Amino acid sequence: MKTTRAKPKDEKKPSGKRDRNKEKTKQQILAAALELFRKHGLEGTTTKQISQKSKIAEGTLFNYFKTKEDLALYFFQKETSDLIKWFAKEERLQKAPLPEKLFAIIHRQLEYITPYEDFIGAVFFRSLQAHSKLSPLSLESQELRLKYLRFVRDVLQQAEENEEIPRVGEMGAYAVGLFYVGIVMHWLHDGSEGKQKTLALLDRSLNLATKVLKKGGWDW
Amino acid sequence: MGAGIAGNYLAYQMRRPFVAAKKNEEERGTLQRKNAKQIREGLQELRGPVMKLGQALSMQTHMLNAEAIEELAGLQMQAPPMHPTLMRAQFKSAFGKYPDEVFRSFELEPFAASSFGQVHWAVTKRGEEVAVKIQYPAIRETVKKDFQMLRTASFLARVTGHLSEPVVAEVQRGILEETDYRKEAQNLEYFGKQLKPLGFVHVPTPYFELSYENVVTMSRMKGLRMQEFLQTNPSPELRDKIGVNLSNLFFYQLFKVGALHADPHPGNYLFNQDGTISLVDFGCVKYLKPEVVRCYAQFWSREWVHNAPLYAEITKVIFGPQFSPRDTRVRRCMNDIRTFYDEFHPLTRTTETLELADPKFMAGLDRLLRALPKNKFISPEFVFLSRTELGMCNLLHTLKARVPMTQIVRQWMPQTYADKAQSKVL
Ligand SMILES: Nc1ncnc2c1ncn2[C@@H]1O[C@H](COP(=O)(O)OP(=O)(O)O)[C@@H](O)[C@H]1O
Repeated sequence: MKTTRAKPKDEKKPSGKRDRNKEKTKQQILAAALELFRKHGLEGTTTKQISQKSKIAEGTLFNYFKTKEDLALYFFQKETSDLIKWFAKEERLQKAPLPEKLFAIIHRQLEYITPYEDFIGAVFFRSLQAHSKLSPLSLESQELRLKYLRFVRDVLQQAEENEEIPRVGEMGAYAVGLFYVGIVMHWLHDGSEGKQKTLALLDRSLNLATKVLKKGGWDW
Repeated sequence: MGAGIAGNYLAYQMRRPFVAAKKNEEERGTLQRKNAKQIREGLQELRGPVMKLGQALSMQTHMLNAEAIEELAGLQMQAPPMHPTLMRAQFKSAFGKYPDEVFRSFELEPFAASSFGQVHWAVTKRGEEVAVKIQYPAIRETVKKDFQMLRTASFLARVTGHLSEPVVAEVQRGILEETDYRKEAQNLEYFGKQLKPLGFVHVPTPYFELSYENVVTMSRMKGLRMQEFLQTNPSPELRDKIGVNLSNLFFYQLFKVGALHADPHPGNYLFNQDGTISLVDFGCVKYLKPEVVRCYAQFWSREWVHNAPLYAEITKVIFGPQFSPRDTRVRRCMNDIRTFYDEFHPLTRTTETLELADPKFMAGLDRLLRALPKNKFISPEFVFLSRTELGMCNLLHTLKARVPMTQIVRQWMPQTYADKAQSKVL
């Protein structure tokens, strides 16, 4: 694994210079906001502070992100596209058994959010509120979710083809998505050194799930 | 598992007032056997570090009968394997960096499995070849949780006095200590220094700056494991030389260091063509009480045979003060040990070599070790000592070495006892 991440770009290839500039500004704002979130938390950070830090006028800021939730959504979009690009480049992992692949994917996600633990905690809290854009049920988060699920579905499909697991179809991807949410919860509460308890839980439950699937089959 | 063991004890307790004394004894025998089997199966199911508890419990001879001990002694702790991604994540949780950032090179596939994790080969930035032992994540937390579970499970057993809280606490402390690899690094340094005068033992050098609670880095040792070594068809001279070295190593540790490398597992000894021995795995080190070492020497000198006060003193250390030296069980046990020593550590034949390939020796040792646990009251320190000695004898036996054992013991034992043994003969 390389520690330097490939410069994440937006999925929809920016068509022209205008788009590229727009993207650059968005990233500039996100970087400033994340730093502030880390210091003051999601709730404690004001638009004014973000504007000052990113050197973008408050009014202009609004053209890019209407709310802090939009900013958070953008953060996760980048996280997901970064994850997908990273995985495609990991040659050894492509040949690894399924439990290791899923472990690597989830662990990579955890590493990505590690510097922003407080921010993630706050986002989690917000996403539980029914009208939040961050809620997994909201229209705004649909695209992001589908992208992640498609990615996981591809990984599972490969394991199906290798006969590592029986056919799990779409449900498998949903289950992994839910599992990830649970793991993030555990991770947020994990006070052990280096979050070791989460590592152990992740490893053992993935092994268990694969074993159970193999033994019990799945006939849907 | 909890309900299983506790349930058995409960059933036994409830029926106890109604069964006759003799029958009671019999019932207890079956019960312990049944329990030991359940404990073993339960522990295997847990697949947690508590497996180690089985081994540790098997040393608590006063708690369980011979069969129960047999049942438990077979347990070997084995942590689940880590795939490269988990291994790297766990490494990073200690170092804050990935292995390839810390080392010049690092092998992703483990070289060997260990009780709490696995061992990887690596080369440091300065180019030194090292072994890196990495622990499975959250082992300590698992140990604590497993013990909590065990305490609930054994609650009723505790009431009956078979599994006393101090014993459980002591075992837990011991295992937790073993999971701290910084402690192992300290043991390596200590033993490296202590065993240096022997000249033929190599102990890995710890790298403190590359060691944490759950990762330990040490120099990579050369040598072959016993079976690989024997496949090279070593000459009888080489086998004898190694045999002599192994015996010297044991008695030097016992008499001069007062501490024993306590894991006689054959994988922990690596043999070299020049007759030197590499010793690995210092997670489990037993520091012996001085009176135990002294008692061993006193016993060996056999002066006690005609010296009643000395006999009383020795039995006090071996069996505990609550036993009278005149107790028939104590007498029988002392005689069993003495018969063995008279046959195989004879004071009269000081230069003669002991043929360890001789099946008679192993049979004698086997008899002795079978006799010992029957005396449930013998002190755990001595059971432990004889086990380690048996481990050494097993190695010597496999080697088919010839060793002047009496001479070697005499060389390291405190002079006064060696002299006494000498004068006895003359
Ligand atoms: N420094 C070393 N050099 C060579 N081999 C080693 C070294 N350390 C460990 N090993 C090998 O790895 C195996 C397991 O390591 P060990 O320390 O015994 O683990 P544990 O005591 O935790 O079970 C050993 O039996 C030995 O063969």
